[in-house]
Parts: sequence; C-alpha cells; structure tokens
Amino acid sequence: MEEEYEILENTVKDFNAKYVENNSLKFENESMGKEFVKLLADQGFFSMMGQSGEEVADVKTLSVVLENLAKSVPAVAVKTLLANSFLSLVKDPEVTEAVANGSKSGTVTFSDLLVGPGQNGSLLLSDGKIKGEKQFVVGSDSDFIVTLLDTGELVLLKSGFTAGKKLKRLGFRSIGFSAVSVNSSDYEVLSKEGRKELEKLYYQLSIPVAAISLGMSEAVSQKGLDYAKVRTAFGHYLKDFQPLAFELTSLIAEMEILKRYFEVLISTSPSRKEAMFLKHKALALAKDISKTSLQIHGGYGYLEDFGIEKFYRDSMALSVLFHNEEHEMEVLSTLVFETKAGFV
Amino acid sequence: MDFELSDDIKEAVVRAKEFANKYFTEEVAEKSDFNEEFPTDIVAISKKEKVLDFSNPWKVLVTIEELVRRDPGLGISVTISAFGAEIFMFFGNDAQKEKYMNPVFAGKRTLGLGVTEAGGGSDVAGIKCEARLDGDSYVLNGGKMFISNGQIADHFLVLARTSPPPSPEKKHKGLSVFVVDSKSPGFAINKLHGKLGVRATNTAELIFDNVRVPKEDMVGEEGKGFYYIMTFFNISRIYVAAQGLGIAHGALDRLIEYSKKYAPVSETGELNENLQLAIAEIATRVEATRNITYKAASYLFKFTPNPIVTSMAKFYAAETAVFATKRAIELMSLHGLTSDLERFFRDAKILDIWEGTTEVEKLIITRMMLKEGGA
Ligand SMILES: Cc1cc2nc3c(=O)[nH]c(=O)nc-3n(C[C@H](O)[C@H](O)[C@H](O)COP(=O)(O)OP(=O)(O)OC[C@H]3O[C@@H](n4cnc5c(N)ncnc54)[C@H](O)[C@@H]3O)c2cc1C
Repeated sequence: MEEEYEILENTVKDFNAKYVENNSLKFENESMGKEFVKLLADQGFFSMMGQSGEEVADVKTLSVVLENLAKSVPAVAVKTLLANSFLSLVKDPEVTEAVANGSKSGTVTFSDLLVGPGQNGSLLLSDGKIKGEKQFVVGSDSDFIVTLLDTGELVLLKSGFTAGKKLKRLGFRSIGFSAVSVNSSDYEVLSKEGRKELEKLYYQLSIPVAAISLGMSEAVSQKGLDYAKVRTAFGHYLKDFQPLAFELTSLIAEMEILKRYFEVLISTSPSRKEAMFLKHKALALAKDISKTSLQIHGGYGYLEDFGIEKFYRDSMALSVLFHNEEHEMEVLSTLVFETKAGFV
Repeated sequence: MDFELSDDIKEAVVRAKEFANKYFTEEVAEKSDFNEEFPTDIVAISKKEKVLDFSNPWKVLVTIEELVRRDPGLGISVTISAFGAEIFMFFGNDAQKEKYMNPVFAGKRTLGLGVTEAGGGSDVAGIKCEARLDGDSYVLNGGKMFISNGQIADHFLVLARTSPPPSPEKKHKGLSVFVVDSKSPGFAINKLHGKLGVRATNTAELIFDNVRVPKEDMVGEEGKGFYYIMTFFNISRIYVAAQGLGIAHGALDRLIEYSKKYAPVSETGELNENLQLAIAEIATRVEATRNITYKAASYLFKFTPNPIVTSMAKFYAAETAVFATKRAIELMSLHGLTSDLERFFRDAKILDIWEGTTEVEKLIITRMMLKEGGA
C-alpha cells in the first residue's frame, strides 16, 4: 500500500481508538450524536470524494477511510459514505459547507435503483411544489435529501419533508431509515437526467461499498482468530479443530486476495467492471466471514457484548441497502459478455 | 411407507395456524423482539387453549413447525415451557413426575434446563458446577450460562458434578441431574440482554451459591446425569429441527409472496430465472428437511430413537433455516429487509448453536456411523 494510504489508515485507527471503540454499542444501536458527527467531519472524512464528472470518481482516499471506519462500527462508515455521496452531487455552498463541517446532514436516496418501478413511492413537482412520499430512505433523519422525482429530475430537498415511522432495521440501527413525506417548495433541481446521474454515483460507490465490506471482514475475522486462540473445548483450543480452522483460513485467504485487488484498484483507474467485481465478491465475503466468526464464538457470538452479531446484521444490511443482486448481476454479466446478457 | 399426516395431526396444524394468525400479530412480534420481552400473555393463552397437546408428540412437532413458521421468537416462546420435561418422563420417579412434570405438561409451571456454563457448552462433560452431599441435601455451587426460560422458570433441571471423574478420558462419569427451585436461597438469576435473535425468548445466567437441594430432588441415579442429558438432546434436537423447518418454510412463504407481488419479470412475462431457481432450491431444501425431521421423529416416537438421523435432522434444519432466510432477503432486496423476514434471518442463526452446534452434530453423525456402521 502506498505511503499516503498508510498514513490515512493510521489516522483512522487512532480516531477509532479515541472516539469510536468506547461508544460502539451506542453508535451502532442508538445514535451517533451531533458532537461525534462533528468530530467525523472535522477529520475531513465527509468530503473526500470530490465532484467528478467522470465515470470513475476518485474514491481512493474515501475507500481507505471507510475500510478502516467499518472495522469498529460499520454504521459510522455508512454515515460517512452518505455524506460523501451527498456532497458529490450538491453544489450550493451554504448547504455543502454545513454538511462538510458536520453541523447539518445530507443523504442521497438510492432506493429507486434497488426496487422496481412504482415500489418506491412517488414524488411529483406541480405548481412549484414537490409532493408525495419516498420509501426506503437511508438517512431519513437528515437535514437535506437528494432524491429522484417520478419525472426523472434529481432534486435537492432543503426543507418541507418529514421522516415517517422507522422501518425495520437489520443493521446500521443508529442511522435513520424510513419513508419520507414531502411537501416542499424549498428545493433545487440538480439534474434533468437524474436517474443517469444517480446511477453514475451508485457505480462510483462500488469500491467504497466494497471497502466497507472488507473493513468488516478484517475486523470480524480478527475476532474469530483471537477467540479461537484462547477458547477451549474438549481440552483443545478452538483453533485446533479443523472445521473451524480450515473454514476461517479459507475465508481469510479470499479476503487477502480481495484486499490485494482492492489495493490495485485504488492505486490505478479501475473500470466499472473491475469495481463491480470487487463489490460483488467483497459483499458476499463479509456475510460469509461474519457467519463463520459468529459460529466460532458459539453462544457468545449470539450476544451483542462480543461485537460479532452486529457484523452479521450489518453485512447483510449493506448488501441490500447499497446493492441489488439481480440488477447488478445483469449489468455485470453484460460487461463480462461484452453484449447484453442475463436478460431474456 | 406413508408420507401423509393423519387427520388428527392435520387438525393440530390447522389449530396452530389459527392460533398464530390470531395472536402472533406483527405488532406483538415486533414489540417482543425490540424490547426483548417474553410474551407472557400469549404464552398464558396458549396454555389455557392447550395449543401444545403433549399426549401426542407428532402434534407437538407440527405445532412447533407451524407457530415458528409464523414467527420464530413467539413460536419458540410458546413451545419451550416444558423444556427438559422428558428427563422426568424417562428418568424421574413417580413423585417427581407428579410434582414437577405433570404441572409443566398441564401448563401450570415452567421448566428450564441448565447444562451450558460460561466455560463451555459443547463439552458437556467438562462442566464445573458442583453438588456436594451434606446431610440429607446436596449443596450446589457454580453457574450456568445462556439458560432459556432463565427468569421465568419455576424449576430448573441442572447438571452438576457429584464425584470427580475416574480418569481424564471418563469426564462424563460422576455427573448428576438435580431439580432446583428458582426461589431457593443462594440462587441468583441475571437476564442476558442483546441477543441477535429469538429476542422474545428469555435467556439468563444462573448462579448457585451454596444452594441446597433435597436429596430426593436428584433425578435418577447419581453419576448418570451425562447419559440423561444426551438422551434428552436426542429428543429435543428433533424439536429444534422442527424450529428450523418452520423458519425455512416461513422464509419460503415470504419469498413466494414477494415473487407474486413485486418481483421483476422477463420479457416473456415469467419470473426471472435467477429467482425461479432460488425458490426451487429453497423449496427443495425445506422438503428435504421435513423428510429427515419426520424420519427422525418417527424413530423416536416409536421408542427406537436413531441419534444419527436425529443429528442429521438438527444440523440440516439449522443450515436450511440460515440459508433460506439469507437467500430470501438477498432476493427480496429492500422488501425483505424491511419485513419480518429480517427477524427470521436473525432468529435462524441460533439453530446452528443451541442444543449442539452444527459442528458437534456432524461429529456425532460420523462417530456413530463409524461405530455402528450406518444410518
Ligand atoms: C439464546 C440461547 C439460549 C440457550 N439456551 C440454553 C439452555 O436453555 N440450556 C443450556 O444448557 N444451554 C443453552 N444455550 C447454550 C447453547 O447450547 C451453547 O451455546 C452451545 O451448546 C455451544 O456452547 P458454547 O456457546 O459454549 O460454545 P463452545 O462450546 O465454546 O463452541 C464454540 C465453537 O467451537 C466449536 N467446537 C466445539 N468443539 C468442537 C470440536 N470438537 N470440533 C469442531 N468444532 C468444535 C463449536 O461448534 C462452536 O462453533 C443457549 C444458548 C443461547 C445463545
């Protein structure tokens, strides 16, 4: 890994040790609180993506930060991802400054890309007002929302919206997740070709999302390794039992290969296909490795105190909130076959 | 060979369905899950309505399956009140059956079983809890970890060491089972919080500080406790398999419902093949789980238990439940994540752990097959 990334990695490690680890259950399950969000912003973590017009944005530094934030509390990494996504789309200096310095929060709704047409509510502009409801908004407790209208424009809602009843939340419980009712005349149209713009950002996030998955995998596999070295059963350390040792080792082999690939991708200009390869495999790995690590911990893995079960939940939540298996495999198959594939 | 359920067992299925439809509302299920709250009221109603008919184990099995299919946390809470009672049935004396077992089967009392300790659950013979004979009672010292019904049971069956093992290889000797009254002096209970799933069930740590247990509350013979517990697990694992079957079937129900309502279709108007194959795979695994679970049950209920098939059923059901809930969420995307399926996903993972981890079940299968030469 390049030196600049190593320095960044150490910065995040220190940040985790100082501010995150002691509060991990609170940050995961309840709320991160304004003070902590400000601290995150003060590190410059919220505005690392820049506003790139290119298909593949510079997500290298952001990805290194996310990977390392995810090792302690994945929800903190997701919060950071949302802020960066927001700032990559919005230009209004008053808004961007407030979100970048953590005094206000912003989110982007990706759900239009994840569920079918008509399944995500409806937002329409009429007589100078945007009205309707958007379903499945991650970060619904934010001060600003970037979202898509039915007519295809990408808009920034500055006020005039309220979050509905909290939705069930498998993971990232401290981040708002609900439908949002909108009745707003305080908005800005960001793009007429909103869906395209949103899709572009979505694919730009492939490596950052993979980075969060890899961070989770590293943390949860380390917990498995540590526990298996100290816990005994039948007079042996758990590490000595082949089923546990072999499975964890095999998953760690996969993780190390993906980390290498990740490092290659962030130090070059990866194609969309390569970025999607990484995301596809990293999301699956985080789920598998969390499951194995939980299993190694036996009953203790099932309780939150050991900090394992959250990875089991979050790895699944991540793979749904920022990913749709069928949709992405269709796109990826088409890139691999170099012709439309995966459709009948 | 007849794969059809008899009419009275089909009736039990219908009764369980009706009960779940009436009482397992999403509101109650969500509240119990969120607050980690045992559904006392529903459990009381289920006992009054005799939802579990202990006179016929097949009815118990299908009732567990159906209730859990609707909601695992509530379903397990309703069906776990008699956890451990078979130990009395097979090894208790008449007085113990009268005093402890009958009230549990009649729905008047709740039972818990304390085997696992902080230091280990898989290695049952390695437990440290001790019972020392002192006059006409035993004195218990030590603790038990992750005990279901911990705060609500009236009595616990507790495995403790009554004599040192004759040799390091014979650790399973010298263990005995006692009935411990939850109100005994020196007995403390700490509720465990923050479970991944089955949060409606009550789980606690038990601590014994010089707890006196009258001699007559030892179950069966002194030193045979390990054998009693293993015999019990060969019964209870079939019911755990039924839990897995219920969870997996519940996930399949939800995926099929989603497919009809929301799933994308191809240009020919059919469901995408990826989804079609996934449904087929889950459905096949559910069917295979049912067959193996019912086979294990049929051996047991004819009093010819087959521990190999039982362990196969338990681990396969657990893996199927975990697999089905995971695949269903992945395919249902945000619709799955924001539905009760997310609870099923969290609940399913316990089946890989309790009453013999999946690894331990697999070891039992092979070791017994090598010993006995086949399933
Ligand atoms: C919610 C909940 C409710 C429970 N209810 C009860 C209850 O009512 N009564 C009760 O007595 N217990 C109960 N348990 C405990 C449960 O049965 C144990 O957690 C389980 O038996 C595993 O024991 P352990 O947690 O100590 O894990 P360990 O025994 O420490 O095992 C850790 C890991 O090592 C693996 N392992 C162990 N030995 C081997 C080997 N030889 N080869 C390969 N792998 C091996 C295991 O499979 C597991 O993956 C409950 C647990 C939970 C979480």
